[in-house]
Amino acid sequence: MAHVHEITVWTRGVVKDKEGRDVAQALAQAADKEGKYVQAFDNYVDLPDRVNVPVRKYARISDQEIEMRYDYENERPEVVVVVDATMVKGVNVLRGMAQGGVLVVNTDRKPEDILKFVPNKELLKAVACVDADGIAGTATVDFSGTEGGVDAVGLGAGIAAPLLGAVARATGLVTLDSLAEVVKNAPALRRGYDEVMVHSLN
Amino acid sequence: MFNIPKEREVPFAGVTPAPVGEQPMMITGNWRTFRPVIDHELCNLCMNCVVYCPDGCWRLDEAEEQVVWNAKYCKGCLVCVNECTTEALNKAHELDFEDGVVRLEKLF
Repeated sequence: MAHVHEITVWTRGVVKDKEGRDVAQALAQAADKEGKYVQAFDNYVDLPDRVNVPVRKYARISDQEIEMRYDYENERPEVVVVVDATMVKGVNVLRGMAQGGVLVVNTDRKPEDILKFVPNKELLKAVACVDADGIAGTATVDFSGTEGGVDAVGLGAGIAAPLLGAVARATGLVTLDSLAEVVKNAPALRRGYDEVMVHSLN
Repeated sequence: MFNIPKEREVPFAGVTPAPVGEQPMMITGNWRTFRPVIDHELCNLCMNCVVYCPDGCWRLDEAEEQVVWNAKYCKGCLVCVNECTTEALNKAHELDFEDGVVRLEKLF
């Protein structure tokens, strides 16, 4: 089986739930447009229907068919996206990561301020900080698209758009053009791509 | 704790033992984005924060004659900041503080 790029998105229940799901879904849909094999799904164990609870969303991208049956969590994430920066204090977000991963954080603070709370930061190849709240405004609090419901708002209308731009710049897993096809707020996507601060480590 | 074999472990919300004092299987400190900060000079010990906190994260330390905050379980709902009568409580962003790191080794 070919290498599967695993992307884990950490977000907060209800208030930023849709934003986290949008990041995972849009990455998968953009890679799908490039002809890759993709999966995107929520974590059911986290019980996301409580305000502010830490929840995970997953995406997988591969050049060949993904043969991970009955694997409902990304055990070895290659890219970790943190939608709310305070989560680095509450959760070991890099758990399971192999050497050379990438961390993307939504924050207006410096990477050092974030990394001092990451216990296993030597695993990281790069850390990227983008002020998604400042670029796209407040998060869209919306339940559309939840548990198979129709998504009336569309992918990437809120802070997910600049975060996706940051992921594209920091990892190169998907191109900006294919993301722009699936994301609703394309100007915010491009601003996130331009304004993200990527710091290489090691 | 119950003596459950590893392969029969139930995830959170299935079964947790009744807490005696603190509930070690449901630590909620990592839900917090903002935290209440107390100015003991302004506090007149009206006990509103102790009464209104939904999770009992404020308690009165009778020896020190001041209220004490529990960082391990405070979810940052800021009800106490709303209910404070003397404006001794204010909200502050969690990343401004080095302390208050609350991690569950196994999430749920």
